[in-house]
Amino acid sequence: MVNPNQTAYFLPRGDLDLLIQSLRSDDRDVVGPHVRDGALVLDEIESATDLPVGVGALNAPGRSNIVEGDGTRVFDQPPGAMSWKRWTFPPRVTQAVWTDSEGPIPARQIENPPRHITRKAFLGVRACEIAALRIQDKVLMGGPVVDSDYVARRNDNLIVAVECAVAGGTCFCTSMGTGPEVTDGFDLALSELDDGFVIRVGSPAGWLIVEELPVTPATDGQLADARASVSRVRDQMPTTVATEGLPQQLIAAAESPRWQQIAERCLACTNCTLVCPTCFCTSVSQHSDLDGRSASTERSWDSCFTLDFARVAGGNFRPRTADRYRQWLTHKFATWTEQFGSFGCVGCGRCITWCPVGIDVRDELMAIAPPSADPVRIELPIRTPIQEQHRPMPWVPATVIDKRRETADAVTLRFRTDYAPLLAGQPGQFVMASLPAVAAPPISVSRFHEDGFELTIRAAGAATAQICALERGEILSVRGPVGRGWPVEQAIGRDVMVITGGIGLAPLRPLLDWLIAEREHIARIQLSYGARTPADRLYTDELAKLARGGIIEVAETVDRAGPEWLGRVGVVTQVIDRVMCSCDRTVAFICGPERMMQATVDVLHERGVPDERIWVTLERHMDCGVGLCGHCQLGAKFVCKDGPVFSLAELGPAFAIEGL
Amino acid sequence: MTTSPHRLGTLEDKLAAAWLTHGVRPHMRGVLAALAESRPVAAGQVLFREGDLSDFLAVVLAGRIGLRLRVPERGPVTILTVEPGDVVGWSAVVPPYRATSTAVALADSEVAYFNGVELRAALDEDDSLAAEFYPLVLRAVARRLEGTRLQLLDLFSQRWVEPW
Repeated sequence: MVNPNQTAYFLPRGDLDLLIQSLRSDDRDVVGPHVRDGALVLDEIESATDLPVGVGALNAPGRSNIVEGDGTRVFDQPPGAMSWKRWTFPPRVTQAVWTDSEGPIPARQIENPPRHITRKAFLGVRACEIAALRIQDKVLMGGPVVDSDYVARRNDNLIVAVECAVAGGTCFCTSMGTGPEVTDGFDLALSELDDGFVIRVGSPAGWLIVEELPVTPATDGQLADARASVSRVRDQMPTTVATEGLPQQLIAAAESPRWQQIAERCLACTNCTLVCPTCFCTSVSQHSDLDGRSASTERSWDSCFTLDFARVAGGNFRPRTADRYRQWLTHKFATWTEQFGSFGCVGCGRCITWCPVGIDVRDELMAIAPPSADPVRIELPIRTPIQEQHRPMPWVPATVIDKRRETADAVTLRFRTDYAPLLAGQPGQFVMASLPAVAAPPISVSRFHEDGFELTIRAAGAATAQICALERGEILSVRGPVGRGWPVEQAIGRDVMVITGGIGLAPLRPLLDWLIAEREHIARIQLSYGARTPADRLYTDELAKLARGGIIEVAETVDRAGPEWLGRVGVVTQVIDRVMCSCDRTVAFICGPERMMQATVDVLHERGVPDERIWVTLERHMDCGVGLCGHCQLGAKFVCKDGPVFSLAELGPAFAIEGL
Repeated sequence: MTTSPHRLGTLEDKLAAAWLTHGVRPHMRGVLAALAESRPVAAGQVLFREGDLSDFLAVVLAGRIGLRLRVPERGPVTILTVEPGDVVGWSAVVPPYRATSTAVALADSEVAYFNGVELRAALDEDDSLAAEFYPLVLRAVARRLEGTRLQLLDLFSQRWVEPW
């Protein structure tokens, strides 16, 4: 009884199980709502009796109760704690398995484990959840690096949507523009009436299912009832969040005292992020066998609310709960729009329902960033073009061919590789450096060679200590080059100031190499380099040689020294604040701890160097290296993906706000 | 700065080139130059010691002067070097006129030397000179304070710094 010109059909309630069996044919698992242990969950559904027949739920800030519902209806509940990302983006995934084989020549093999992913039909996907899937698609498949596990799990999903017939007490999809009407993005869309379901068909795969069902064309009355049902939901859910101008209002409120007030209630328990259908942040952990022959890399959900989430290479950038709450809320409702072109919130209300202390984002948003007749106009930073990277980006072996000690705890390792993209890396780019059973840290390349590259590494943690301990002939697995490097072309015809401190000279060394190679096209090169003590300076012989040759001007300074040191003592900013420069044609490249970079930027501003010509590297924020794990986020940037090098003009207000 | 060739190298020109006294109005710079004399300082020479009565103020014109503090068991620690253009011995115009560190020339240097007593007398007598001169000293000391604060943070330390 299916007519291709007809797009809506009616399935009597008694035949619902036929729909489920039809979905289950073709080796599909059906996942849908189910009551287990007194809670509404999503689970595998084998027949219609697994669905929550006659069950309702009352959601409010901080609570959700299962209640008796209306007769035989099955979809009259607001969202439960679980969302579809449980299947499309599981809480734990093994990403790689390492095996060292025995034999005369030890070999290391890295494999992606076989995935046993079955085809899925998602039954009962609400309008807000279709929006959430789209958002995660954009984040995890939008590039430049895609999450291959997510791609495999999203492949061939059959979406059976259900239009809501009740609004939960925490729902606000009407505010976020995602529902309650199901308009697209489905294979089939159901509207539940008392005696059955109006089914709309949204794709050829949907046709194949409907063709097998004893449906009749939906009557005008049935269609009107379906429309009335969803329209009642819209009426029950007044617009509570004014989204017009919200991103700008929120960014402008970065210093609001309200953040601290929320932090006094917030337990930083992470519930809101775990129930959120769009949150995608993860952490990667390493697991090794006792015999040390194999190890695995496992990715698991993480949350920007955990104390250590923002503990990256350079320290913990969001130590206070207020910082972390601000990060979460401003990401969902402000910076996400710049990164991915939509809000990161779909208005499902889960974060309100499952907040143990009932913090209601709707109220908080309107308190922090109330709608204004005269909206705040803040200049959003210039959008950073995302670098096209080499895809797929494999892990490749690199052999240590030389090792030089730089300081008491830093070494420079020279590696040989024949991986062409790596040999063609740009100054300021970095590699992920991996050894079995330790998390791979991102490390800036400190020199490119025709047959390899150098890394200058300080033993700061377990991974870097192991890499520092590598000897000639040993192998490091690297992935790269990644990130956006220094904009070297900006140096042509200009005075160049390179300002750095400590180990920060390493990522600037390839830039210096480039500048020296192009010396005749550059007016002046000044390097100002600060270190803690004379013994903490890198590349001392090399710098002395360059300075002697008059190729670049080198001004070194240390924070403290004994009587044997006859060089400068004092902070690096005081090396540059009085130097004569033609600041109207100066471009500055800076790398160092944040506070040092801020002080340097203040001096450059005083000297009249504009933001467009001040470049900083935020490599201390980096973590996974490809911008998928979320740890490197700073304002609207993912440092790994969009950076690590940025101009101050690109960073805008994100550069100097504490805890952002 | 433009300088006619025959005047190149006068003390006044050198003060005009030093960042500390660069912005001083020309006639005041003349007054200052008349109070000062150029003196060479050999590498290793101690200009004053911590706690000494400060009997001079100097603007470093060339070379490098190290400011040191003696720390038990660590010996003399250089906490700052004064580079050309900057002042050494500012305590000569700030009561109680005692040196706050020991100053040693780390390289052969040249300074514009102001006798402390004469300089203070001139500043007492001439309000407009004092109004021009004290802000210079204050600026130099403020810059030093700013640098010291950053040094205190020990930003290049290898240790994890826990928030408090």
